[in-house]
Amino acid sequence: MRILGVRPARLSLHAFLILTSLVWLVPVVWALYTALRPFADTAKHGYVSFGGSYDVKNFTDAWSQADMMHFFLNTFVITVPALVITLFFASMAAFVIARFRWRYNVALLVLFTAGNLLPQQAIITPLFRIYTTIKVPNWMSDSGELYDSTLGLILIHVAFQTGFCVFVMSNYMKTIPGEISEAAVVDGASVFRQYWQLTLPLCRPVLAALATLEFTWIYNDFYWATALISTGDKRPITAALANLQGEFFVNNNLVAAGSLLVAVPTLIVFFALQRHFIAGLTLGSSKG
Amino acid sequence: MTSAQNSPYAQGVSRRSLFRGAVGLAGVSALGIPALSACSSSSSKSSGSTGGNAGAATGTVTIGSNGSDQVPKKAFADLFAAADTATGLKTTVNTVDHNTFQQNISTYLQGTPDDIFTWFAGYRMQFFAQQGLLHDVNDVWDKIGGNFSDAIKAQSKGLDGKYYFVPDYYYPWGLFYSKSAWAAKGYTAPTTWDDFITLCKKMKSDGLSPVALGEQDGWPAMGTFDYINMRTNGYQFHIELMQGKQAWTDPKVKATFDHWTELLGYTSPGANGRKWQDAVAMVMNGQAGMCVHGLDQAGPQFQAAGKSDDLDFFAFPSIDPANGQDAVEAPIDGWMMSKKPKNHDGAVKLLEWLGTTEAQNTYLASSPNDVAAANNPDTSKYNALQKKSIQFVSSAKQISQFMDRDANPTFVSTVMIPALQKFIGDPSSIGSALSDIESQKKTIYAS
Repeated sequence: MRILGVRPARLSLHAFLILTSLVWLVPVVWALYTALRPFADTAKHGYVSFGGSYDVKNFTDAWSQADMMHFFLNTFVITVPALVITLFFASMAAFVIARFRWRYNVALLVLFTAGNLLPQQAIITPLFRIYTTIKVPNWMSDSGELYDSTLGLILIHVAFQTGFCVFVMSNYMKTIPGEISEAAVVDGASVFRQYWQLTLPLCRPVLAALATLEFTWIYNDFYWATALISTGDKRPITAALANLQGEFFVNNNLVAAGSLLVAVPTLIVFFALQRHFIAGLTLGSSKG
Repeated sequence: MTSAQNSPYAQGVSRRSLFRGAVGLAGVSALGIPALSACSSSSSKSSGSTGGNAGAATGTVTIGSNGSDQVPKKAFADLFAAADTATGLKTTVNTVDHNTFQQNISTYLQGTPDDIFTWFAGYRMQFFAQQGLLHDVNDVWDKIGGNFSDAIKAQSKGLDGKYYFVPDYYYPWGLFYSKSAWAAKGYTAPTTWDDFITLCKKMKSDGLSPVALGEQDGWPAMGTFDYINMRTNGYQFHIELMQGKQAWTDPKVKATFDHWTELLGYTSPGANGRKWQDAVAMVMNGQAGMCVHGLDQAGPQFQAAGKSDDLDFFAFPSIDPANGQDAVEAPIDGWMMSKKPKNHDGAVKLLEWLGTTEAQNTYLASSPNDVAAANNPDTSKYNALQKKSIQFVSSAKQISQFMDRDANPTFVSTVMIPALQKFIGDPSSIGSALSDIESQKKTIYAS
C-alpha cells in the first residue's frame, strides 16, 4: 500500500526525523529569537510572544559588557597548547601500544584509558591541594603556584584528555598494515622515524577527528576553569558568560545573545573539519 | 557532546558506575580532611600589632569582587579609581561572576585569596571567621566605628566578638507594588494583618492575583517566612531559631506557618514553577498586586523596563502588636580581609577608606538600588526609594539579614528550600514536616 507513491514506513520515518530535528532546533532558534528582542519587550509581553522591536543590540552589548575579546584570547591560549600537547603525547603512546608487542601492552592501554573513567569531581580536593603546593617560577605563573595559572589548566586538560586520544589513536594505528613498518625496519628506519615520518602522516584523518572533539571539550570546559582559577581575568570564555548574570537581576535576552556568540568557534571548527571528523571516527572504531 | 564528562567513556555502564561510586566515596572522605584541618589552623594575627602602620601604608592591594555584571562592575571601577586617589594605594580588582564567587568561596579562601574581598554580613561571615579563614579588622573599626549605627556594628562581628566585616551597603525587603496600578484602584498600604487580608480580598475581587510569588529558585519565599515569623514571634525568637537555638517543633513556628497558610490563599498559584523575575513582572504589568522582595531584585527589573518611578514598597504588616513592625530585613553587603593578606597595612588603610561615607556614596552613585551602610550619607543624589529605604531601616529596632545569611547555609539549602517548596505546594503538609525539619536541624547544626 502506498500513499502518493510513498511507502508508509518511509513516510513515518521522515515524520520522525523532522520531529526529532525540530526538538533539537527549537531551543536554539528560540534562543536566537529571544536574543534579538530587547529586555523591556519580553518583560512586558513574556518570552512566548511576538511584537515589539528586533535588533542586534543584545549581541553588541554582550560582546562589550562581558569583554569577550579578552576571554576568547584566554580560551585560545589554553585550548591550543593543550590540544597540541595532548595529540602529540597520545600519538606517541598509541604508536608504542599499536606497533610493539611486549609484556605490558594491555596494562599500558588500561592505564591510559582508566584515567578517563575517573569523574573529574572525585579528584578535585587532592588536586587542589597539589596545585596550591607546587611552586612554579613567576614567569610561568604570576600566582607563583600551579593553582590559579594558565599552565596548571593546560596540564590538567592534557592529563585528562590524553587517555581517550590514546585509545582512539591506537585503534586507528592498528588498522594501518604492519607490513609498512616492517618494510621500513628492513630499510633501516629508526623507531622515531617509523613514528614521525611513516605512521603519523597516515593518521591525518584520526588526528583531525580528535582535534575537533578535543577542541570542543577543552573549549567548553567550565569545571576546571572554575575550580582551579581564582582570578577572574585569567578564566576562559565559558566563565565570561557568567559575567553577564547579576546577583539577582538577569537579562536572559543578553545571556542568550552571549551564549550564541560563545558557541560560534566550536561550530566553525566542526564545519571546517567535518569530513575528517566522521571519516576518522568510523575508521578508528572499525577494528578494536 | 559538549563537555569532557560526556565523553563516550563517562556514560553509564553499571560496572563503571560502581567504580565511580567507590571513587566518589573516596573523594568525599578526602574532602573532609582538609576541611577539618582548616578549622584548626587559625592564624589571625593580633590586631593591634600592625595596625599603627596603616596611615603610612603604600603599595598594591588586591580586591576580590563578585560584581561582574554591568551595573556593579562600573560601580566598583569608579569606587577603586577614587580609592587610588584618596589613599595613595594602587588597587587591583579581581572580578569573578557572582555565582562562582559564592560557590567557590571556601576554595578561594584556602587558595590564593585577594587581600580584601566582597562578602555578606551575618552567620555567613561568622562561619568563615570560625574556620580561621579571615583576618580580624578591629584596627579598621578603631577608625570607622563612629560611622555606623549599633545595629550595623552588631552585624559586623564574629561569634568571638571581634570585627571581621566592613559594611558597604544594604537594601531593604518589603512589599513592593506598582504605584500606578494601586492609584488606579485606590489601594492603600496596610499596617496590620487584618487590613492586609482585607486588601488581598479586594484585589482578588478586582481580578488581580494579590501576592505574586516565584519560588523556583528556592530562596524568594524565605523573605516571607522571615517577616511572618518576626511579626508573629519577635526578632529574638526568629534569630535564635535561625541559629539553631530554638526548636522548629515549637508551637510558635506552627503559628507562623498558620498565618502563611492564610496568605497562600491569596498567593499566585503555581509559585514553585515560577522564576522570581516573573513574579516581579506580574506586579510591574498589573497582573498581581504586590510581592515580598528586596529592592535589589525589584529595583533593577523596574529600571530595565524604564519604570523606576512606578515602584514603591511598604513595611510588612504587624501581626502581634507586641512586635509591631519593629524588625526589618535588610541584607548588608561589605568587605572582609583574608587570613594572610599580602599587604596587611595597605588593606587596613583601604578598608578604613571603604568604611567612610565618601567611599560608599561613590559606589552608590552608579548603583541606585542600594543604600550606604555608613551614617548620614549625603542623600542629595539618592532617589526617592533610596531615601525611603534609609528612613525605613534607620527606624527599625532590629535588623535581620535573610534566612540564608542568618542560618547555617547547609541547613538552608538541603532542608529549608525543599521544605518551603513542599509547604507552598501543599500547605497542609507542614504539621508533620516540622518534626522532620527539627531532627535534620539537630544533625546539621551539631556537625
